[in-house]
Amino acid sequence: MRAMFRQALLLLGLAFLPAIGQAVYHRSSAPWNQPALREGEVRLEQARDWGDSVIWVDARPDEQFERDRIPLAVPLNQDRWDELLPQFLEKWSPDKRVIVYCSTLSCALSHDVARRLREQAGLPNVYVLNGGWEAWQEALKK
Amino acid sequence: MGGMAGGAEKVKTSSHVQSPLMRSGTSSAPRLYVVPALAALIGGIFIYAGALKAWDPVKFANDIQNFRILSWPVGVRLAFYLPWVEIVAGLALFIGWMRSGALAILSALTVIFIIATVSARTRGIDLECGCFGAASKNWSFTSHMAVLIGLLAAVVLLWFWNPPQSARNSAL
Repeated sequence: MRAMFRQALLLLGLAFLPAIGQAVYHRSSAPWNQPALREGEVRLEQARDWGDSVIWVDARPDEQFERDRIPLAVPLNQDRWDELLPQFLEKWSPDKRVIVYCSTLSCALSHDVARRLREQAGLPNVYVLNGGWEAWQEALKK
Repeated sequence: MGGMAGGAEKVKTSSHVQSPLMRSGTSSAPRLYVVPALAALIGGIFIYAGALKAWDPVKFANDIQNFRILSWPVGVRLAFYLPWVEIVAGLALFIGWMRSGALAILSALTVIFIIATVSARTRGIDLECGCFGAASKNWSFTSHMAVLIGLLAAVVLLWFWNPPQSARNSAL
């Protein structure tokens, strides 16, 4: 048993070396204190500064949209894309910024919907809300 | 593949790492091949999973953040360390070096992943599994748990079927 712990500690120590090396290599680029923005993402503070020029797009499944959502958000999910896209486009205008959100920081739905809006619908100014619905709810608590 | 060779060695074990099966002398010839093969497979899976995460630690930090257990500053530091723990322990298991220590680490990691996943599920968090990078992007909770429990079962099996340790291990 002692040998097992000794081995485990040694392996954990060995793993520390490349980890430190990688952390030093990324020391200036890694987001050490708050989540990084991925390409096309905006933080909630920035989105709020844009005020009424924003159309919120909810990329979550229908049942989650029905349960709760950002005020005035428009549903546009992958499951009913062909049905919901025309409804969204009726509300869209060229002077608007589109911000897509899904559930959490790492959900991919918002990025997928934003990509389709850019590439298939050809819309400019399409962004993804960093942290998604969870970030919105957190901000409400503050 | 030192582990493969080590598995076929004539028994030269140190008592502190012997499993009950080994102590009772029930080691069989097929086990001498099955165990190293399973160890190499499980080690390889952890090396692969660790390498995917080490390739993009910030993405892994996002996955950790999704569990809503740790703060971002803690999670991002862990995201730089955990993948290397998986790689080093997986490599140790793969080559049969310090196998007991590697099994202890990998079983602990798997149990922690299972607890975190179940905890997130019970709190209604819709998780994207970060275990195998993009390959596991669309895994359901059930698939996620099946893989984790399968890995844990394999690690536990190796624990009980721990083959003879090499002289290198005895030296530790």
